[in-house]
Amino acid sequence: MKNYLYNAASLQRLSIILLISLLTGSINGQAQSQFTVNGTVRDKRSGEVLIGATLYLKEAPRSGITSNSYGFYSISAAPGNYTLIASFTGYRPDTIPITLTRNILLPIELGAGGDQLTEVVVSARKKNDNVTKPLMGVQKLTTSEIQNVPVLFGEKDVLKTIQLLPGIQSAGDGNSGFYVRGGGADQNLILLDEATVYNPSHLLGFFSTFNSDAIKDITVYKGGMPAEYGGRLSSVVDIKMNDGNNKDYHFGGGIGLISTRLSAEGPIVKDRGSFSISARRTYADVFLKLSSDSSVSSNSLYFYDLNVKGNYKIDDRNRVYLSGYFGRDNLGFGNTFGIDYGNATGTARWNHIFNSRLFSNTSLIYSYYNYKIRINSDNNDINITSDIRDLDLKEDLQYYVNADNKINFGFSAIHHTISPGIISATKASSYNSLALQNKYSLENAVYISHEYSPGDKVHFDYGLRATAFSVFGPGYFYTYDSLGNTIDSAHYNTGQVVKTYFNLEPRLSASFQVNEASSFKVAYNRNVQVLHLLSNSTSANPTDLWLPSSNNVKPGLADQLSLGYYRNFRNNQYEFSSEVYYKKLQNQIDYRNGAELIANENVESQLLFGKGRAYGLELFFKKKVGKLTGWISYTLSRTELKIDGVNSNNWYPAKQDRTHDISLVGIYQASKKWTLSATWVYYTGNAVTFPSGKYTVLGQTAFYYTERNGYRMPAYHRMDVAATLQGKKTKKFESSWTFSVYNLYGRENAYSIVFQNDPNDPTKTQALQYALFRFIPSVTYNFKF
Amino acid sequence: MQNRLRYILSVVVLVLAVYGCKKVINVDLNNVAAQIVIEGNITNLAPPYEVRVSKTVNFSASNVYPPVTGAIVKITDSTTGKTYQLNETDSGTYTTSAFNGTPRHRYDLLVIAGGQQYKATSTMPRNVALDSITFAENTDFNNNKDINAVVNFLDPVGPGNYYQFTETVNRRPIPNIFVFEDRLSDGKYIQQPLFNDSSYLQKGDTLQLNMYCIDQGIYNYFFTLMNVTGNNNFQSATPANPNTNISNGALGYFSAHTVNRIRLKVY
Repeated sequence: MKNYLYNAASLQRLSIILLISLLTGSINGQAQSQFTVNGTVRDKRSGEVLIGATLYLKEAPRSGITSNSYGFYSISAAPGNYTLIASFTGYRPDTIPITLTRNILLPIELGAGGDQLTEVVVSARKKNDNVTKPLMGVQKLTTSEIQNVPVLFGEKDVLKTIQLLPGIQSAGDGNSGFYVRGGGADQNLILLDEATVYNPSHLLGFFSTFNSDAIKDITVYKGGMPAEYGGRLSSVVDIKMNDGNNKDYHFGGGIGLISTRLSAEGPIVKDRGSFSISARRTYADVFLKLSSDSSVSSNSLYFYDLNVKGNYKIDDRNRVYLSGYFGRDNLGFGNTFGIDYGNATGTARWNHIFNSRLFSNTSLIYSYYNYKIRINSDNNDINITSDIRDLDLKEDLQYYVNADNKINFGFSAIHHTISPGIISATKASSYNSLALQNKYSLENAVYISHEYSPGDKVHFDYGLRATAFSVFGPGYFYTYDSLGNTIDSAHYNTGQVVKTYFNLEPRLSASFQVNEASSFKVAYNRNVQVLHLLSNSTSANPTDLWLPSSNNVKPGLADQLSLGYYRNFRNNQYEFSSEVYYKKLQNQIDYRNGAELIANENVESQLLFGKGRAYGLELFFKKKVGKLTGWISYTLSRTELKIDGVNSNNWYPAKQDRTHDISLVGIYQASKKWTLSATWVYYTGNAVTFPSGKYTVLGQTAFYYTERNGYRMPAYHRMDVAATLQGKKTKKFESSWTFSVYNLYGRENAYSIVFQNDPNDPTKTQALQYALFRFIPSVTYNFKF
Repeated sequence: MQNRLRYILSVVVLVLAVYGCKKVINVDLNNVAAQIVIEGNITNLAPPYEVRVSKTVNFSASNVYPPVTGAIVKITDSTTGKTYQLNETDSGTYTTSAFNGTPRHRYDLLVIAGGQQYKATSTMPRNVALDSITFAENTDFNNNKDINAVVNFLDPVGPGNYYQFTETVNRRPIPNIFVFEDRLSDGKYIQQPLFNDSSYLQKGDTLQLNMYCIDQGIYNYFFTLMNVTGNNNFQSATPANPNTNISNGALGYFSAHTVNRIRLKVY
């Protein structure tokens, strides 16, 4: 315990030192002669805060900023009369005259809708954020884009939709996992209101854990991660939940082919606080009914989840938020086998405005994932459980120094407890009860970054994240030889440090504006990952195990350099961007052949280590306004690994190495009533290992494998379409019907290829391709009142 | 247990896949130079003992595996220090009846073929008696009732016991690999159902079930072989050749094991 406290205290000290050293010099001097306007940007009708709204003073164009995750903004300027312009996609911009002779508190409310064209004219200047901001490799999706993109079973899914963006690759049918710029599925930090979601999938990967009803905003960082994020190598998916309407009560819901959703929102105290609740449950066993004509009464296959959020304004300077997620999957196989699993997260946050320029958020975050397996067969009555539990204290501060300088700084301390497996078996069982020792660790970080605009055309965002990861006792810690045999073990007491890894993660991005409509950008960042997901099957199994870095397993490192060219056309109605990246990966993990990952105290002895490299080109073209909106994205890439003990220690393509990846998305507003949409995807098949020869063992055919991942699955392509019919809209009630077809032209995309003896001719072998979904129609009814 | 778990998860996906569709496809697979395959067994039953030497063929070829003839095959009982040369009694099949396999003896195999030497070592574990075979009816994911044989035996106290099971139904071998280790079951009375990929046992069938006590290397071999055959083939992320106990790049295994055999009618 003493060690934890010591670590937290030294973190704070370090962050203060970093801050002071950065704030000395020119920045402080300039700040004195200015006044500040600050406040929160909200939706006029619901009071929901608007994240990423653009605000600037017409008379001082360089003053432009975007509202933060809590809708907060702060703009400083010399005394005088100004016009503040606030705008947000899909909202009517607001023009507010202000007189800066003192600091002003100015809450802003924007009304939805409005004439798209006026919006473009009025706010054209600031519609080119994508060009001017130094942010690279960032993708944002609005809820309306998510609502209109067709998906499997009509179940809106943010994680599926982001896979249509460049550099984000789908892991395939029936898998909500995704790969970002060549990184593995476990290298994505998935945050729901700041809490890590350890298993983002339902039903073995067919759906994601995120109920789109509950989601306000989703941002994906593929490169150039801001210094406030850390912990994963490849990406950050930052998902924010709805705050709820603080003016009126509303209820909504949807009835779909496989699930029903219900939601409620309303004020706790009008204009001071609100709540939002969303729940969803799938109908049991829909797959089984489709797949089999026999009775399915004793099997179960369903999930449910619940999102809850509330917030309350204590006074103009203080607001508190509480948000939580709880989801559970249940999969039962007669009474002989069952597994249930799920995540639970909770976030308590306190926004505090120290003064008009210094915004603070303090979060206490709890994150939990567990699974429980029940086996009841004959004499065997066994339960297997495993869980991961995080407690995280996080502080983020944003200091709006002046129009050209903004400082972000803070710290985070996460305590991880991992229970890798507990087996409880009855006396008559064939198995012994067993409890693997818990793994305790502390993941600390301090960060500081500086958004700096030395001129109209040049913007920098640079920073540093310093991390310290410590593994603690109690427990036995082992060392292994190169073959995985135990050569030593040592016992550590409670709180005794086994190993600490210090890392510095520089983050730098810069943009150089060529003109109003085009810019070049460059970014470099280093990321560190201290938790590794052990998974050696093709799909995401709920039993995949998170393993902290240790005396044997080093934290993974990724260095990424990216360059980009951004260009907007026709008054920013069209966006084009191209980025190239090169990523170097260190301390990557693979497994020994036949690795025992389940209930193995020596699981670290089953691992092999190596390095990786990934590089590619991403092109993105988006039409943002008009009747027809949508985008085309193309990625050309290569991802390779070199692991000691795999493929004769030669480089080989990673499973997710994908030469070409194309996505087309079109959303057409045909009339006031009808919205049509379609997507088409094409990508090179995954790199896989196929046999090259065969032989006989025990009188059976066995296959002979040569190089790792030396073959390719067939190319994947698929088209989905959807049509949404808006029902009569009254003040009190609105409804819509969505009809969709997944895999419109019935392409049989290979899910797996199995090699076997030909059942009709035992002297031959054959390759059998399994495909999952063809022509899946669905209909969903949504309502709101 | 982990196999059962993996099996079930893969069945879920398989059911979905079947609902989708499956078809035979042509995959353009590379040709490879023929590799040597050695399969040798010594048991505690009376000799002869057999070592078969053959070669791999390309995937597209017929399932006819060319025997390797004229090889020199020797087995040394390291415990007694005696070496026995095997005679080629059939093309590629080398046999000996010169000794009786004995538990706890270490056996070394030497095969010289094509100018190359291949070596393997296997120690015959002490025998663990198979008590009995019972039958259990399990409901599979399609709600079919499958009959599975259940092996009943007492695992001796102390880790490091490994078992292999083979089934023959009406004289037809069941093409499934079953291995079991006592890593999570040390000293327990084991009642383990042998789950088949599909329903092979019917009431009234004659079942011959063998339980072998094998060493760790052989367990590793068959465990890793099992990962790339049958239903596991569907799920394994990166199939690889099984971990053999034979040197110099040969495929196959050399196993010294005890045999418990029970023959009965399925009830």
